Amino acid sequence: MSNGFLVFCVSVLGIGHGNKLLTDLYNCHLTKVYTVGGLLGKATDDFSDTGKLVEKTTFDHITREKLERILAVIQGTNHKALLMHSNIDMKTQEAYELAVKGLIRPMGKSPPIITAIRCLQFALPEFQLEVHCLHETQQYLRKIVHEIGLELKSSAVCTQVRRIRDGVFTLDDALLRTQWNLQSIQNAIWDCQLKVKTELEKTLGHQDKIHLHKMDVEMAHAADS
Amino acid sequence: MLVPPATSWRAAMLGGQQPSQHGQRLGDRAVLKQGAAKRKDRVFVWGFCYSGALGVPSFVKPDVGWKKPRRIQPTPYRLETEEKISSAACGYGFTLLSSNTADITKVWGMGLNKDSQLGFQRSIRDRTKGYEYVLEPSPIPLPLEKPQETRVLQVSCGRAHSLILTDSEGVFTMGNNSYGQCGRKVVEDETYSESHLIHQLKEFDSRVVQVVCGQDHSLFRTKKGAVYACGWGADGQTGLGHYDITSVPTKLRGDIAGVNIIQVSSYGDCCLAVSDEGDVFGWGNSEYLQLASVTETTQVNVPRHLPFKIGKIKEAACGGTGNIVLTEEGNVFVWGYGILGKGPNLIETAVPKMIPPSLFGWSDFNPDIRVAHVRCGLSQFAAITNRGELFVWGKNLRGCLGTGRMEDQYFPWRVTVPGEVVDVACGVDHMVSMVKSFT
Repeated sequence: MSNGFLVFCVSVLGIGHGNKLLTDLYNCHLTKVYTVGGLLGKATDDFSDTGKLVEKTTFDHITREKLERILAVIQGTNHKALLMHSNIDMKTQEAYELAVKGLIRPMGKSPPIITAIRCLQFALPEFQLEVHCLHETQQYLRKIVHEIGLELKSSAVCTQVRRIRDGVFTLDDALLRTQWNLQSIQNAIWDCQLKVKTELEKTLGHQDKIHLHKMDVEMAHAADS
Repeated sequence: MLVPPATSWRAAMLGGQQPSQHGQRLGDRAVLKQGAAKRKDRVFVWGFCYSGALGVPSFVKPDVGWKKPRRIQPTPYRLETEEKISSAACGYGFTLLSSNTADITKVWGMGLNKDSQLGFQRSIRDRTKGYEYVLEPSPIPLPLEKPQETRVLQVSCGRAHSLILTDSEGVFTMGNNSYGQCGRKVVEDETYSESHLIHQLKEFDSRVVQVVCGQDHSLFRTKKGAVYACGWGADGQTGLGHYDITSVPTKLRGDIAGVNIIQVSSYGDCCLAVSDEGDVFGWGNSEYLQLASVTETTQVNVPRHLPFKIGKIKEAACGGTGNIVLTEEGNVFVWGYGILGKGPNLIETAVPKMIPPSLFGWSDFNPDIRVAHVRCGLSQFAAITNRGELFVWGKNLRGCLGTGRMEDQYFPWRVTVPGEVVDVACGVDHMVSMVKSFT
């Protein structure tokens, strides 16, 4: 992550055969989850709290309820985008079945899409959001905070972006720096195997069963080595 | 491959106008801006424009020479109104809006007026003539005894007639009366266009609390829980035990005799009623399996209890060929014929089928979302959630779904409205919604 912006996050690494798995996981277009911090009352040129100040505004009129209404709109508009970029023919029964299960999502390039957003904490002038998204950029997440500020008839900057989940991997799966040793890494790989396989099966399974069998063999190798 | 720009949700909020770009550099001096306070009430319209039912004259007669008339408004468009609108109804090519105000003007109408369903709308050019089409919301003067006290509570519109419910002066009816749907005697060879006649109905067992227009019939629900009907009865839609027309509102019996009915609905030739105990009753047309769960006859002229085992029913709505109910638990069930909302494979069913709540935004992440209201147009459905989101599905006749696309919609789809949707009225080829702004 650039711009000297401090981000603590989940990063997924692949070793050996795992690199191929990374590609497969990428092709699942799974969501990443972030906690995003916001500060009301000012606007800056790069939407972060370290940027150059552009404007100061009052924020006493803002309530958690108002914020949550805006979040509902964001979620709704993005949900539509999700369905539209998925390239599924909406007039089919298949589209209906996928929509019911919440499995419609873009399986190719798409602009950033927020699949879910909610307010975790609210204490004027600060607030914290949980954002689930696809194909996002950091800039995009900061801009969302800025736009929320505008829509609330005030202004806001982003104070923190932290990735807490990448697809199936959560903070709980993450290894701390102190755990970067062979044994811990091996255990981590073993623990994640099943999760990865399940997700790939669920999303890509209907596409390529042969490929998945090969993957089983590869994972067995990875565990042994 | 070019990636399309990110979804501009703010553009959606502004209803099509461009949001102001960031980058207004104000130099070193920061400007202190005051935030705004009160939420505003708004009306949004969409669908077929040429009838004038949307109330935007420039759609039909552009005010600038080079602009072309707009046949269809495919997404919600804001309609400026003088007063806060508390009730709206969409008829077949016309619209009524009403306000709960004590001011003299309480009801406005726009669209088709060939049967004076909008009352007499005096032409400016020739004061002896009335307009056949009304292009913008125009006041409908009512013959009230106490015009500065009486309030209009609700309006309803059918194919060519209208009902206006007041709090203390009964119900006013206007428009076509060929079948007695206005609750007065049928006059042979009566001319309905350019008519000044507005009829008043007061003779009910108690105060009327809801009025409903079917295609060519009228239903009245009273405070005591009774239902009255008048108008066309060939499908049994008046529920009075015969198939003739009725020109005087008459109380229905059958399975609803003695039952406390808390809501009635109709728009085509089928009718539904909900009791305080959560039971649903139906009568009228059943050619599309609307009442097939209790009878094989295609015309039912007496209210019948529909013994569905889906939980207590809170609200019901009837369309032309399909019906929808909302249960106390917040579940939505559909039955009948047409695009029912469970994909293209379900075209007809005599028993209610549930639409999965996930289609209305419910998920583990959002477990508190519930559908709060269900509505029906002639061949489309609408649902409003407790978060104020509007979902629509069904036939997209002349863009009436408001999704921005022209295709029919086989399962619930969000309509992007810049605000919290409070209520929606569905017609044949247009819709009107009452919305509260977000901030």
